[in-house]
Amino acid sequence: MQSSVRRNTELSLLIVALIVGAGAMTLVALARSVDRIALALPLAGVVAVAYIGAHVLVRRVARQADPLVLPLVAILNAVGLAAVYRLDPRPDGFGPAQVTWTVVGLVFFAGTLLALRDYRILARFKYIFGFAGLFLLLLPITPLGTEINGAQLWLRFGGYSFQPGEIAKICLVIFFAAYLADRKELLSIATRRLGPLHIPDLKHFGPLLVMWSVSLAVMFYEKDLGSSLLFFSIFLVMLYIATARIVYVAFGMALFAAGAFVGYQAFSHVQERVSTWFNVFDPKIVQDEGFQLAQSLFSFATGGLFGTGLGQGRPGIIPEAHTDFVFSVVGEELGLLGTAAVLVCFMLLVARGLRVALNTRNDFGQLLASGLIAIFAIQTVIILGGVTRLLPLTGITLPFMSFGGSSLLSNFILVALVLRVSHQSATEPDPARTGEILIGGRGGP
Amino acid sequence: MPALVLDLLKYVFLAVLYIFVARAVKAVYLELRPARGRSATGDRRAPPAAAPASSRSKKSPRKLAVIEGDLKGQAFDLQDELTVGRADKCHVVLNDTYVSQVHARIFAKGETFMVEDLGSTNGTYLNRRRVTSPAELQRGDRVKIGKTVLEARK
Repeated sequence: MQSSVRRNTELSLLIVALIVGAGAMTLVALARSVDRIALALPLAGVVAVAYIGAHVLVRRVARQADPLVLPLVAILNAVGLAAVYRLDPRPDGFGPAQVTWTVVGLVFFAGTLLALRDYRILARFKYIFGFAGLFLLLLPITPLGTEINGAQLWLRFGGYSFQPGEIAKICLVIFFAAYLADRKELLSIATRRLGPLHIPDLKHFGPLLVMWSVSLAVMFYEKDLGSSLLFFSIFLVMLYIATARIVYVAFGMALFAAGAFVGYQAFSHVQERVSTWFNVFDPKIVQDEGFQLAQSLFSFATGGLFGTGLGQGRPGIIPEAHTDFVFSVVGEELGLLGTAAVLVCFMLLVARGLRVALNTRNDFGQLLASGLIAIFAIQTVIILGGVTRLLPLTGITLPFMSFGGSSLLSNFILVALVLRVSHQSATEPDPARTGEILIGGRGGP
Repeated sequence: MPALVLDLLKYVFLAVLYIFVARAVKAVYLELRPARGRSATGDRRAPPAAAPASSRSKKSPRKLAVIEGDLKGQAFDLQDELTVGRADKCHVVLNDTYVSQVHARIFAKGETFMVEDLGSTNGTYLNRRRVTSPAELQRGDRVKIGKTVLEARK
């Protein structure tokens, strides 16, 4: 497909997404009082201008990039913004702060696209990224860190708190991708036998195992179960993509089961989470540990098919609704139809990311794109499973929707990297094409 | 704001949300369609008889069809030189761990085509015999490289 066609598709979708965003803000304001609109519309306007700016930049520096990614990000972000704004519309509240973070996030998105013209350069600095990732993960347990809501994940300077773990995710995925791209042959050729299984030489796993166990240990220490699960899954996904050997997945699952069992036996907060999950409506729990989850379920139930309408429900009852439980707000006020639309957008975004990976011939690019999109996908599954009681609740942000500057920043950088890979894989001459492939079964536009 | 108006706006909003979803899905569909159309009209299997006579010798093959392996279903035109390997710069890139970076080449020699192994680790096989020196490639011959089998066709 021609680059101008791609960008025009992007622009037209983006405009619809921004209309949805502005409409959502307007509805929130209308439902409360008409004069709120004077405050809501400028916020929606700022977001719209920032996204159009991002689009113009993509047109200039990544014109062949996937046309759906940016609009999908915009609509998720816009619905999330409306939900956060709905919970706290005060001028110094979460809503306007989230708008500020969105703009800052888009600036970082632009910066990443501008500064990084060739993503393969990242592979050269793989160990730097690996150590940077570990360092960022370790920072919060130094005296610089602060504990918020039982998890020690934040750094605080001045009035701001920052979650370095969010950036660490990206650094570690870059490291994993570069390392696995170098060693994929070694890791996929079996040289040892272990019973019925053929196992590649263990020495090739050394650096990976070190990285993985340190990051898991750190997060266990920081009491952040969601992130431990996230890291574990990304690691497995990338290993599987690199080697195409299901043995690793089976082995990883077994390891995970063992870890989960040990964790359950050893840590009281894990036991508490699981018992809340099973017995959320127990009279002793529902007013206490289970209050948040129970209220979230009530929110979804109240929403019904069409929802109460934006600004007309009472999702504010859920504690911390603006971060982990932002999806419950959507459930209550936009109903099943609204949540389904949001889920479809999440799925499309993941599908586009995987398609970028498929279209990339370069091993590093393939692993980078799929690893980055895996962060996004797994994080979404973990938190949506949590708030709907499909999985035990583990605190983690919903990408692009939850309130939180660090999360928004890192997700915008992530998307910029995916677009960069997408642009490059579309513009570079496909080596197989010079052999005159007669049939274009794969590839596509 | 009267409740009725707000209620109406709620449905309007959901409708616009779904307009976005529908347009996004449509964009995905439009992007996939040209590729599908091409493979439907293109010859996925080389046509058995339709091909015109070769400009080279009548018996010499004109293209290589992949009949086994990841690229199954694709075909490559034979040219003066066609390199096969895992390196990006090869004409035919096989992403297979049993394939060496530059594994083999198929080149024109006079009126015929020859297969030559370029010192690969796991060898190149012409009709199940390992290629140790350049061997002539005839129609119907099968070349096995790693997990991929290529068939010489007209």
